[in-house]
Amino acid sequence: MPASPSPRPIVALRGIGKVFPGVIANADVDFDLLPGEIHALLGENGAGKSTLMNVLTGIYRPDSGAILMDGKEVAFASPVEAIAAGIGMVHQHFKLVRAFTVAENVHLGWKETPRLASKSVLEARTRALSERYGLAVRPEARIDELSAGEQQRVEILRVLARQARVLILDEPTAVLTPAEARVLFKALRAFKDAGNSVIFISHKLDEVMEIADRVTVLRGGRKVLTETTENCTTTKLAQWMVGREMVLGGLREAIVPRSEAGRIVLALDHVSASDDRGRKGLIEVDLPVRAGEILGIAGVAGNGQRELSEVLTGIRRPDSGRILVEGVPLDDPSPDVFLELGVGHIPEDRIKSGIAPSLPISDNAVMRAYGEAPIAHGIFFSPKAADALAKQIADDAAVTIPSLRTPIRNLSGGNQQRLVARREMRIARLAIVAAYPSRGLDVGAISTLLHYLIDLRNQGVAVVLISEELSELFDVTDRIAVMFKGRVMGLYETKDADLERVGLLMGGQTQQTEAA
Amino acid sequence: MIDLKNINRRRFMGLAGMTAAASMVPWKVRQALAATPLPAVKEEDAIIGFGHVGPISDEGWTYSHHQGLEAVKAAFPKAKYLEVENIPFSADCTRIYRQMVSDGANMIFSTSNYGDLIYEVSDRATDVAWFECDGRRPADNLSGYYIQHWYPTYVVGIAAGLLSKTGKLGYVASFPVPSVFSGTNAFLMGARTVNPNATLQAVVINSWFDPQGAKQAGTALADNGCDFLFGIMDEAAYLQVAEERGIWAAMWNTDIRRYGPKAYVSSIVLDWKDYYVEQVKKRLAGEWTGGEETLLPMGKGIDRDAWGERVPADVAAKADAVRDKMLKEGWSPFVGEIKDAEGTVRVPAGHRMTEDELYNWDWSIEGVSGLKV
Amino acid sequence: MALHFVRSPVVSSARALTARVIGFVLALGLGALVLGIAGFDSLHLGRQIIVKSLGSQFGLEDLGLLYTPLLLTGLAVTVMARMGLWNIGADGQFYLGAFVTTAIGLFIKGPEPFMLVLMFFAGAAGGALWILVPTLAKAYAKVDEIITTLLLNFVALLLVYYVATGPWRDRVSGTTASTGRVPYKMPDFFGSLHWGFVIALAAPILFALALRYTKWGYEVRLSGANPDAAHYAGIPVRRRLITIMLLSGAIAGIAGMLEVAGTVHRLQGGISNNYGYLGVMVAVLARGSALGVIAGAFLMALILNAGIILQTQGLTTSAVLALTGLIMLFTAIADQFAHYRLVRPRAATA
Repeated sequence: MPASPSPRPIVALRGIGKVFPGVIANADVDFDLLPGEIHALLGENGAGKSTLMNVLTGIYRPDSGAILMDGKEVAFASPVEAIAAGIGMVHQHFKLVRAFTVAENVHLGWKETPRLASKSVLEARTRALSERYGLAVRPEARIDELSAGEQQRVEILRVLARQARVLILDEPTAVLTPAEARVLFKALRAFKDAGNSVIFISHKLDEVMEIADRVTVLRGGRKVLTETTENCTTTKLAQWMVGREMVLGGLREAIVPRSEAGRIVLALDHVSASDDRGRKGLIEVDLPVRAGEILGIAGVAGNGQRELSEVLTGIRRPDSGRILVEGVPLDDPSPDVFLELGVGHIPEDRIKSGIAPSLPISDNAVMRAYGEAPIAHGIFFSPKAADALAKQIADDAAVTIPSLRTPIRNLSGGNQQRLVARREMRIARLAIVAAYPSRGLDVGAISTLLHYLIDLRNQGVAVVLISEELSELFDVTDRIAVMFKGRVMGLYETKDADLERVGLLMGGQTQQTEAA
Repeated sequence: MIDLKNINRRRFMGLAGMTAAASMVPWKVRQALAATPLPAVKEEDAIIGFGHVGPISDEGWTYSHHQGLEAVKAAFPKAKYLEVENIPFSADCTRIYRQMVSDGANMIFSTSNYGDLIYEVSDRATDVAWFECDGRRPADNLSGYYIQHWYPTYVVGIAAGLLSKTGKLGYVASFPVPSVFSGTNAFLMGARTVNPNATLQAVVINSWFDPQGAKQAGTALADNGCDFLFGIMDEAAYLQVAEERGIWAAMWNTDIRRYGPKAYVSSIVLDWKDYYVEQVKKRLAGEWTGGEETLLPMGKGIDRDAWGERVPADVAAKADAVRDKMLKEGWSPFVGEIKDAEGTVRVPAGHRMTEDELYNWDWSIEGVSGLKV
Repeated sequence: MALHFVRSPVVSSARALTARVIGFVLALGLGALVLGIAGFDSLHLGRQIIVKSLGSQFGLEDLGLLYTPLLLTGLAVTVMARMGLWNIGADGQFYLGAFVTTAIGLFIKGPEPFMLVLMFFAGAAGGALWILVPTLAKAYAKVDEIITTLLLNFVALLLVYYVATGPWRDRVSGTTASTGRVPYKMPDFFGSLHWGFVIALAAPILFALALRYTKWGYEVRLSGANPDAAHYAGIPVRRRLITIMLLSGAIAGIAGMLEVAGTVHRLQGGISNNYGYLGVMVAVLARGSALGVIAGAFLMALILNAGIILQTQGLTTSAVLALTGLIMLFTAIADQFAHYRLVRPRAATA
């Protein structure tokens, strides 16, 4: 961080306050973004990071405070105005039109889009932009064919193409592989070197240390401090962020060692399945899951993990092969069968399949228990009993909720995830399949969640943990399987596995190709 | 189907004394019931309602009734009037008449036969004088009225028989209802007096007012070789078809020759003025009782229109000679033996069809096709 | 800087209601202005509407008779809307319900209470039957229900026209284009208002209770809110979709049954009086809430009744239609406007 006393901030927030009914989202927050810096905005879920950025980009109107750009006060009425002024934001949940191609999305609502341009012109322009900013995308691909990482690149490209001077990224690495993250970081540094600025919202301490020049920590809607990363350590950051001593360790210690491997409770036998587009999603997968183990599934997102988790829980039917429970093949692998067997599922995309955002918290919390007493009596459904169970699940998940009758979409993403996790753990007598459970959670929540899974394992439940965080997998799993292009490339005892090798397998490099 | 065996007792009573036809006076299918007349109403206190099936601007059926209303207004300028157009054949009809009653109407003319939809209200509004055009269920406070349109239709039929070269007559029909059966039958019977081989093809379009449907039907009939189109429509669509195709057409309701001056032969024209004025006069005077079924005769409510510009004088003269015979002598062409389309004798030789039979005609004579109950 | 409108995706009920009231008042104001210019005494007309709809026996009867079918068709559309589906075919299902009811009423003899019960269930079955094909097409081939249900309306209309003017044509009283009188009649309890009204009023309440207090209701709510989540929760979404669509058709069919057995007593071409299409409007007004149907159908019945009153006051049907359309248009605009809030740039305070 250059020591020059005060280069004029490109963006300055002064005393920003924002209150939602019952929640103080931001209170008296000051924030300066200097030209040519990457500024991390660090905080737990619900610390007010997203709200602050939504205020800046005109999605929310602040209740108090002022926004200055190049020293002049501004107020954006919408993100469209913000991008016109050079501030672009890439959200955690992408705002792309899924039925359109990459090129169409990049050119959508852009004043520089040539009128009456043909598909090939748009694709050529997109390719040029892609090369210019070092963000590899396939211009002709449809968004719903893309992995999350690819979609994110499209979002960033959209923003950069509109000549943004300030790029705001909300948890950008949550959906990326380490390699993809490195590519992103490289692009961000290039963007910064050109004199532009980046606001990098994150709760991952390592990457904040790696990429940011300065970091501002928020807690409970208020600013804790702004510091140059040179003067920070991960420990300090964690303390500022959670306001207490935070230990990410202790996971290994919680795992009760076993003398012998548990029996196989859930197994895939030569299972192939199609993805939503009808292409091969899983190819000839053999995967035994044992009682009392955590089986980690490593791999870059989009290599069959979604299909795997869905096949393992009955949501997706395999095209061929068998699913065995306690050694017995299932005739009719449907979700209710797995529910009955006691298989929980923390789905990859909770908004899409794990919850009904418009329904009350209560209805969402009882999704797995509505059919049995005390909630159901014969054909009847007791809202009272549902509320009681929902309250219990919320308490277990340590989520404070204003009212069980409010729609669950009013909760933060982290709290939704906690409720879903608790709900699924409740029914997981036999097994639980957790797909990216730590996505979007802060350090504290991740630690809690992983401890939950370890507890389940120690009780003899089979746990399948799908994750992109290799460190997480190496911390908690008993065995690791690596997926690449729908196939299981290898299955290792975690204690014998080698981080480097797993990383290579995730990239599709087997011994043969290495040798070649 | 109506035959003497099936006529109920009330109707049979109504038939008594009907053998001597005198078509210059309104024909009573049924005389007024011997109920107490409704009390007199002062003109300035009177509220008179009219409900129409179509728009006043239709230049047809509804327009003719509206002219009747205008005549009543001129005769009783101090009374108040309610007039509603486009009343559908649905419960909305009941609602509109109910509303008229609640607006204080003393007298209500329904210019189309909504049946139960009216009785639903009229049976509960016994101090209101009700009229149902083409109605068939009179009550103490409700009278039906219609026109003996089969006589002028027969007259125009003669002209059609003379004008048609192919002997194929086309008919655009609304619904298979008695008005249509008596219309097609009388028309063909007239034509057959001059061309015994004439036939009539009818197309039912399930509407009284559907210019598009009528146009399609007219076109189809012309395509089938019909060179004279007739029908019972509230608008001029098939006249325009006839004009374009260079064939003949006869119409209903009013004089609408300007839509097809070359094709226009005549029209079955309506005139309700005298009847309406007379009924209102009775009601105001406290002399009105319901239960009547009146058929207005040719010359006093129904007639053929002045002949079209291209109708040769001798054709007009031939047809008019028959009209004169009807008017002066009370002559009727509807005398047995008449066979139906299947060839069964339905009117025995020598039997003169009563007005009630004509009014309720619901079978086609030999030579008519396309009409089935 | 100018004022800006910002759209928010979610609208509170209070905000939506306020917007609607404003829209409604604006529409009435505009209508009154136009009528005033055309020489009508708008205030007098307005008073007539209120006094005659709500202040007289005939007015209340009429209102109730309009309210009855609208409650049911509005509910039929709302029931399917809970699954995220549009039943544009309530008119056709109404016709079929009326058709089946009439068939039974005309051709089967029995004691009246028994016959009414039979007609009730037959009407429901008729409506359900009419949506069966769109249902199966939707459930098994994902065929758009909007198109299929809509097209079947025309088939139903033609069928009813055919029997009413053809084979079942009334031969007794010679009534034009309708069948003979059905001899079984829903008993009246208030003038000509029959017990069907009570059934119709109870239906949305029952449905709301079922949604909230039965397992089936929970499954329907979840399937409607997010079918993927419902599938995940082990709910047979397809089966729920089928039952909901058949239920929707059955409710519209019951509306047709009550119209025949309670109000019109005959089958005729125009018997639906567009209640099926108006049901879509009611459902839009109700914003997907079963209880909202009670309010939405009431407003619609009031508007229709006002239309009748205005006609006897000398307005043509076209003017009445235009007024009705105006109110609907302003309601739709108000619904959209409720999503927007005006953002004013703040004065510099720093």
